[in-house]
Amino acid sequence: MLYVVLFFLIFSLYLYVVLGGADYGAGIVEMFSSEENQKITKKTIYRVMGPVWEANHIWIIILIVILWIAFPAYYNILVVNLHIPLTIVLLGVTLRGVAFVFRHYDAVIDNSQKLYDAMFKISSLITPIFLGMVFGGLISGHIVLTEDVSNLSFYEVFIKPWCNVFSILVGLFFAALCAFLSSVLLIGESEARKENIYIRKAAIATIVVFITGLITFMYGYINEYSFVTIFVRDPYAIIAMILSGLLLIPLWITIKKGRRVLSRLFAGLQVFLILLAALVAHFPNIIITKTENVSLLDNIAPESVIKVLGISLIIGGAVILPGLFHLLKSFKMIKILERHNNTSI
Amino acid sequence: MENLDAARLQMAFTLIFHIVFACIGMVMPFFMVVSHYKWLKTKDELYLTLTKAWQKGVAIFFVTGAVSGTALSFELGLLWPEFMKHAGPIIGMPFSLEGAAFFVEAIALGFYLYGWNKLPEKFHWFTGVIIGLSGVASGILVVAANGWMNSPSGFDYIDGQFLNIDPVKAMLNPAWFTQALHMTLAAFTATGFAVAGIHAYQIFKGRRVALHTKAFKIALTFGAIAAILQPISGDISAKDIAERQPVKLAAMEAHYNTEKGAPLYIGGIVDAKTQEVKYKLAIPGMLSFLAFGDFDAEVKGLNDFPEDERPNVPMVHYAFQIMVGIGGVLMLAGLLYFISLKKKKWFANRKYWLFFIALAPLGFIALEAGWIVTEVGRQPWIIHKIMRTKDAVTPMPGIVVSFYTYILVYTTLSIAVTWLMIRQIKVLNAQNN
Repeated sequence: MLYVVLFFLIFSLYLYVVLGGADYGAGIVEMFSSEENQKITKKTIYRVMGPVWEANHIWIIILIVILWIAFPAYYNILVVNLHIPLTIVLLGVTLRGVAFVFRHYDAVIDNSQKLYDAMFKISSLITPIFLGMVFGGLISGHIVLTEDVSNLSFYEVFIKPWCNVFSILVGLFFAALCAFLSSVLLIGESEARKENIYIRKAAIATIVVFITGLITFMYGYINEYSFVTIFVRDPYAIIAMILSGLLLIPLWITIKKGRRVLSRLFAGLQVFLILLAALVAHFPNIIITKTENVSLLDNIAPESVIKVLGISLIIGGAVILPGLFHLLKSFKMIKILERHNNTSI
Repeated sequence: MENLDAARLQMAFTLIFHIVFACIGMVMPFFMVVSHYKWLKTKDELYLTLTKAWQKGVAIFFVTGAVSGTALSFELGLLWPEFMKHAGPIIGMPFSLEGAAFFVEAIALGFYLYGWNKLPEKFHWFTGVIIGLSGVASGILVVAANGWMNSPSGFDYIDGQFLNIDPVKAMLNPAWFTQALHMTLAAFTATGFAVAGIHAYQIFKGRRVALHTKAFKIALTFGAIAAILQPISGDISAKDIAERQPVKLAAMEAHYNTEKGAPLYIGGIVDAKTQEVKYKLAIPGMLSFLAFGDFDAEVKGLNDFPEDERPNVPMVHYAFQIMVGIGGVLMLAGLLYFISLKKKKWFANRKYWLFFIALAPLGFIALEAGWIVTEVGRQPWIIHKIMRTKDAVTPMPGIVVSFYTYILVYTTLSIAVTWLMIRQIKVLNAQNN
């Protein structure tokens, strides 16, 4: 059953990174667009994300609930040491969700739209950066376990773990990744002859992902961050990273040819490989602290808890996944039909 | 401000807001599907207009409820890491099921909001029903987790260790049913009267009376039925608490000394120092009867419990009085509503509408007061008789900063949502009949 739970943990992490990430990215893409393109993007985002964005964000709740039920000791370090960036992420999630609804459901269209748009764009950028800083914080090696905090300052225990060059670089990398995912998604969704906006955005995002990723690695390597040094010595991690890079070729071929489903699959696969690379190099020592590495599997919940959780997840998955699939599919079909009608008229 | 106080205030504050958003998001889908059903049956355009207006409300409140709920799911750990470290695995089951129910709700909402004229009529309507049912299921599951804090079960507590954990038994703890029943009815009462009050105001002002009367009737029918049933559920809860958490019952009644044939105090001002309740109305033997079904039964007083195991008595007592008082008023108002359906001319009387406008906020005030009774009444424990709240709080200093930040954000959020709702209603009224 532990494997079922681990599967759902990684599965929901992956889906949150891909679906939630594309969702955040949409706001980032909108932010870095010209004023005219912003309007187009706003409409496209509503059409694409409207029915599914809430579902996209529930993955993080599933993720956090699995963590606290099955891996309480691990969860404890996360919420104590990374309290501040997590709170900022929460405020970002709140403002972003509210802004999304306000800008599409306000009965009166007036100047307040500008405020909603600004709120949406800024929180779309800030939230993934801080989320990335949380990921970065976990692997930065700056975390101090609470048992050892007595002689240390507030800064060293509660700020430095996430507010350091390495973690910030990871944050920027994650935000770039979101923008990349989103641009690839939006290419297939734009109105006729507007794809070029997003193809250009996808190209820029690819370059930014590559640069931020490279700088993060180089910085980590030069400063001997154990996350990076272990990573580069792991052949599987290296292979996964190279594969992920090589996938750019079929990705761009499919984008150019207008094969939107395939291009999305390739982009999703790339993210999967990046995640996989990080996991194979380190699993199960997901938290790297100053003194030791904390294994995800240390102090896990008792067998009875894992068993019930595993069963709940299987049942929940059996109810939710077909529903979600059907939701995505229905609206995709509708969109294709609409597009067809538009072009035929 | 102490870290513990700041953490408690932040938790209380965010919960107070979340409860309002969550209740409306949970109950309004029912109003919406009834109106939608009437539209499908009668093809009266007013019902369609109403359904679409309410659906916007549902969408806005679902999102505010969802994001404030996401924040809360993190806050549990961020503020009370020691509690979650031990309790997380035990009460994880209702939370994981709640996650699933919530997911179903989000999927159904996607179908419903974007499915107009696209999905088959009946299937589309049915997705609305799913929104409502999964919302109520979510609410019940979360309350079940709270019930566990009041009546911890499903484990053995040996030498500070939680052993032999049984998550199913923990979820189906002794308090889950009474609390969930009471809360579900309260949600329907509060939302029913609040929504009805808003539409009553529109009728009072003479705006689109036909439309708003339909809305008023749908919302208040739910609210009135729930309000009339609520005293029964309250009675079950009182008897349950008398047995499980006698100190909470004693605090609710500001009942200091153990006695047989204990009187019921109505109102009054509590002096915690002298242990006196001034200006109260006392009904002899009534507390014994309500708690144990026997006028002579012995009811334990606060002095039977160590001082460091008692909650804040005046606060719990006042909150309880407010809850019960309002509950009584709303029950009578519910009965009055059903009588008014037979006496059509009441609807022409402006005082009738004024009355229901005045009642609009009361349900939510009672609901919040009820949660103050449960939560403040549980103190000083975070897990009744197992773990103290002060031992669960985060070691990170400076929670007061996050507390003020949350106050700022949530207050702004509520003002914005209210403002948005006023705009919705204005636009609705401006449309032609």
